[in-house]
Amino acid sequence: MTAESAIAAATEAASSEGKYVYCIIRHDRSREFGEIGIGSGARVYTVNHNDLAAVVSDTPIVIYDPTRENVLAHEFVNETVMREFTLIPMSFGTVFRSEKDVQTLLKSTYQAFTDVLDKMQDKIEFGLKILWDRDKVVAAIERENDEIRRLKDEITRNAASSTYFARMQLGRLVEAAMEEASNRYVTDIHEQLKDVSVASRSNKVIGDRMILNAAFLVDRKDEKPFDEKVKAISLQYEDLLTFKYTGPWPPYNFVNIKLKLEKAT
Amino acid sequence: MGLLTNILLSPFLGPVWASKWTLDKVDRVVREELTDDTPIKEDLMKLQMELEMGEIDDAEYVKREAEIMRRLREVRDWREQYGMSIGGGPVRVAGENETE
Repeated sequence: MTAESAIAAATEAASSEGKYVYCIIRHDRSREFGEIGIGSGARVYTVNHNDLAAVVSDTPIVIYDPTRENVLAHEFVNETVMREFTLIPMSFGTVFRSEKDVQTLLKSTYQAFTDVLDKMQDKIEFGLKILWDRDKVVAAIERENDEIRRLKDEITRNAASSTYFARMQLGRLVEAAMEEASNRYVTDIHEQLKDVSVASRSNKVIGDRMILNAAFLVDRKDEKPFDEKVKAISLQYEDLLTFKYTGPWPPYNFVNIKLKLEKAT
Repeated sequence: MGLLTNILLSPFLGPVWASKWTLDKVDRVVREELTDDTPIKEDLMKLQMELEMGEIDDAEYVKREAEIMRRLREVRDWREQYGMSIGGGPVRVAGENETE
């Protein structure tokens, strides 16, 4: 059994044809994007209302698990659409029962979609995750911080007699210095990217090595300067930090339309 | 009268209230635990990160992803049982019933 049919089997009403919605764009004609949709290459096309269009593909009425395969399919469609259009991304897994329900969405949210599309015109998003190598940062701190270096030397010299208290003290100092260093790096990086981005947003860090998990909204015309700036910063911090730089993405982190959606039974 | 009754009967009523309150609380905590998918999504993001950083290989990723999907489905089932909203599945614009 394939993953897809397993999902279908697990869901009761898997028979009827629904519409999986990837994003909303401004376009007043129907348009095809090829067979790249979620669920082994479904045909991706538009459902239109006036000058707005929802980019959709046909789907059984199922709940899509956020597996890597499914999430990549969703993202790939948005990336493809993005090459030509400014888009408002929909949440992963948004399924409507019928074309008519999608049109109702476009009709009832017309103004909000239009406003956001205006605001996001020619804007793209980049993701920047920064991780540090703990040992290297500690080594750097020991080089810079006299008090920590002295305390550490002392403990090493008198290994046998050095007290529990001295070790605790060192631990506390190092923790505090690391926190300070992390804040300093993050502030500096934000500062350097300010001129080449429109807005930024910091998300919760993932795992204990990450010190920054941010999204930057960038004007398409600033794509290259932004890119170069990130490269320059990663060189500057080469010895201490690992940069995970992704994009361009649709403005996932900067569009916040609360759609009034309910479960369709 | 009400207050006096309570005081007079309190050794009797007290423990009943207490245990009912405690059970409600336990029920609420259990429900929150069963229906919260935030920690599962965090685990999924961590797993993704480990793959990106080359700390795990593809096979390991697939194995752990399956486990995370199983947990997500479990939470989804509980949310449905408690009549809570679930991410994914068919939706429509609230208040508009054009399909009918």
